[in-house]
Amino acid sequence: MALIDVQDLIKRFDGKEVLKGVTMSLSEGQSKVVMGASGCGKSTLLKCLNLLVSPTSGRIIFKGEDITRPDMDIHRLRQDIGFVFQHFALYTHLTVEENITLGLRKIKKMKTAAAREKAAFELERVGMIEHRNKYPAHLSGGQKQRAAIVRALAMDPAVLFLDEPTSALDPQMSREVVTVINKLYLDNITMLCVTHDPFLAKYISDSIVFMHEGVVVAEDVAERLFYEHEDPRVRQFYLSVIDHR
Amino acid sequence: MTFGNILIILAKGAGYTILVTLAGIGAGLAVGLLIAVLQTTKVKAVQLLLAAYTFVFRSIPLLVLLFIVFFGLPGMGIRIPPFLSMVLCLGLVSGAYLAEIFRGAMAAVSRDEITAAEAMGMKRVQIFFYIIWPQMFRMAVPGMVNEFTSVLKYTPFAYTVGIPEIMKEAMSLAALTLRGLEIYLAVGIIYYLIYKAFVLLFETLEKRFRIPGLAGE
Repeated sequence: MALIDVQDLIKRFDGKEVLKGVTMSLSEGQSKVVMGASGCGKSTLLKCLNLLVSPTSGRIIFKGEDITRPDMDIHRLRQDIGFVFQHFALYTHLTVEENITLGLRKIKKMKTAAAREKAAFELERVGMIEHRNKYPAHLSGGQKQRAAIVRALAMDPAVLFLDEPTSALDPQMSREVVTVINKLYLDNITMLCVTHDPFLAKYISDSIVFMHEGVVVAEDVAERLFYEHEDPRVRQFYLSVIDHR
Repeated sequence: MTFGNILIILAKGAGYTILVTLAGIGAGLAVGLLIAVLQTTKVKAVQLLLAAYTFVFRSIPLLVLLFIVFFGLPGMGIRIPPFLSMVLCLGLVSGAYLAEIFRGAMAAVSRDEITAAEAMGMKRVQIFFYIIWPQMFRMAVPGMVNEFTSVLKYTPFAYTVGIPEIMKEAMSLAALTLRGLEIYLAVGIIYYLIYKAFVLLFETLEKRFRIPGLAGE
């Protein structure tokens, strides 16, 4: 059974249909990347899946439960979904360690000592332990994103969502972050990542979902999608993004 | 009587000045925070009511309000003691200004951070207390210090309702000795010293709680 099963998902903003019936699924231990041109609806899709944006219609089944039903406990749902943002969204007034332990203490009700231990363990995994007492303003972009990934992972979510995790980074920092996400991929962490970056997509995905104007038009492994796909919209996209690199 | 003696006599009234200032600040903070929090609700009627409140209390001079409360309300059978009248009026006026300062500081908290907290599964009240409040407070410090010094400078009005603060002591002394210039100069010096102490206290607090990346850094 799929961990997430999206059926005919539609989202309209002020009459403009951004998602026009998206159907896709994600199994436990699987890592998928959603790609497509700007405005194709991929970020909206991700935000619909943890109800940061309410879908207009369609169904989202998460762990066998329809989360689009009106009485859904969204706080409980979101605790099960780690979310990493393009612009990191670390809490400015908290140190790296406090950013990670806040959710553990206040949401998971973990004791401070246990939360700090958990944070230290996770920071060690991504080579960030020496930065634990720094404030976000004193970190590089790559370090901020790694801290944000740790913050999401520390909550032990069933799935990790990544919304353009390397878009705000220069190539060197981007590579740092790709290395970390690739490590998660090799550890079989369930992930759904939205990106424009074919390099990231290739190294962290079992398959890539390609979206165009609010619908899924293709799903395949990176190599076939990048170089051999018959759909002209897919070919055109990868021709442009890969040629530009 | 030397200038030093005058200073010592007037300094006895400084206790009331400080007390009125602190109580006024406390009341202003309570009112300002309450309004700032209520302003986050999406209910139109509440928004209109709060906008009217801040507009009205920012436009009425404190002395007029104090006279309405202390001399006017007894006509309706409502008697409020002098100290409480002063603190109430300071709270109402200062709260209206502080609410605007807090509203601005709250709006400056990154929307991305609030979204991240929502995505983590935090409830609205948790987001307010753990994400918005600590940042808002720090960003509001310069505006708050400014408002608190205004409260201090409003305190001489307390003499009009009979509170024995510095100004009342000074007027009695001036009537008795006819040495107005020295006495009111001494009042100015005492106010300056109290003001300086307040500013030093807030600068120390600001430094203690300063965070890189937030306002002031």
